Amino acid sequence: MMKQLSQRLFGPLTLTAMGVNLVLGLWIVPPDKVQGELARLVYIHPSVAWVALYVSFGTAAISSALYLWKRTRSVVMDRVAHCAMEVSVVFIALTLITGSIWGRPAWGVWWVWDARLTSSAILGVLALGYLALRRANDDPQLRARRSAVFGVLIAINVPIIHFSVQWWKTLHQGATVFTSNRTLLIHGIQAWTLLISFIAFTMLFFWILRYRYRLEVLRENIAGASLEEALSARRREGAQS
Amino acid sequence: MFFQFGGEDDVSDADAINELSPVAPPVTKKRNRTRSIGVLVVLLLAIVALLSQGILHSLNYFETVDQVLANRASFGTEIMRLEGVVKPGTIIRTSTGASFYVTGSKGEVFVKSHGTPPQLFQANIPVVVVGHFTTKSSMNFDGTQIMVKHTASYIAKNPSRVKAPNGTVR
Repeated sequence: MMKQLSQRLFGPLTLTAMGVNLVLGLWIVPPDKVQGELARLVYIHPSVAWVALYVSFGTAAISSALYLWKRTRSVVMDRVAHCAMEVSVVFIALTLITGSIWGRPAWGVWWVWDARLTSSAILGVLALGYLALRRANDDPQLRARRSAVFGVLIAINVPIIHFSVQWWKTLHQGATVFTSNRTLLIHGIQAWTLLISFIAFTMLFFWILRYRYRLEVLRENIAGASLEEALSARRREGAQS
Repeated sequence: MFFQFGGEDDVSDADAINELSPVAPPVTKKRNRTRSIGVLVVLLLAIVALLSQGILHSLNYFETVDQVLANRASFGTEIMRLEGVVKPGTIIRTSTGASFYVTGSKGEVFVKSHGTPPQLFQANIPVVVVGHFTTKSSMNFDGTQIMVKHTASYIAKNPSRVKAPNGTVR
């Protein structure tokens, strides 16, 4: 009962959180002292990047690792890893797009090949590579094993992206929230709105993931049913002749 | 996928039609391996292409004013990216661009840049200027592009709405 209720409420709650973030970010929070109205992108781009890098890619990597561990190996882990990586591709693309939209007026350029942007682009290629690897393997078990190994290996790029602004000199700004000395560089209503944006986009990810997972289960069921139907049809043909 | 079904044309007698037990799966292991290797090779090439872009433009995207001042001779007149903070009161906007000083902790460099500066270009903001020194020993930098490197700090325009953690109004 409670589970059903929470499942039903999750969608509306996500939409509410996204709406609150939009209203706060676009209208209520004052513009930034230096960046002016441009800073409103801080309530979209960092949270989208957070989901792309840590939440979705993290979910895919952890599910992959759990699939490789014998005690937790199951088709569920494989499905979750696959679905999370698909959603991750969307969020990585959104990260690069919103970053470019912000970069053009703020930096003066759409794109630069600095360490942060290059490693983020590589993450997108790796995520697409994961999906291509899945399609390259017909055998479900082989596919699950190979993609799980690959999913765990490519996760090494996530800390590289995270620390790129500390390890190398980049045009991309340093961390505002996850700073090396744990000092917030944003305060008041700006900080609260940023927190809401992180929560809203995280909820959005899990909402999309849930529906993508259900779609995957349905797809597998339909494929199984088609096989059963074909077998029955052939049996009927055999009986008639 | 795991069962092979013959089409009507493949069946020559009734026994074959009635034989509905699953047959051995087709040999897909080799095909899977070939495809996987293909995917990995394409992936590797894509990553090398991206990395080569990153490395060509160097992982350290710019040289700071202090680094340049400490080792001025080694930079000569080669094209580089110079990073420093725009010195207040030195910006002169012209029809072709802008001139200003960029400072580090140990000194400053005069920049004359062509082209329209970005929207956020202003005094006290860190910038990265693409260009070169006019002569081997000169401290005048001829810029072709200005990029603003804004900081990670955010402060609301209306100061009464935002307080620092220690309670002071920012």
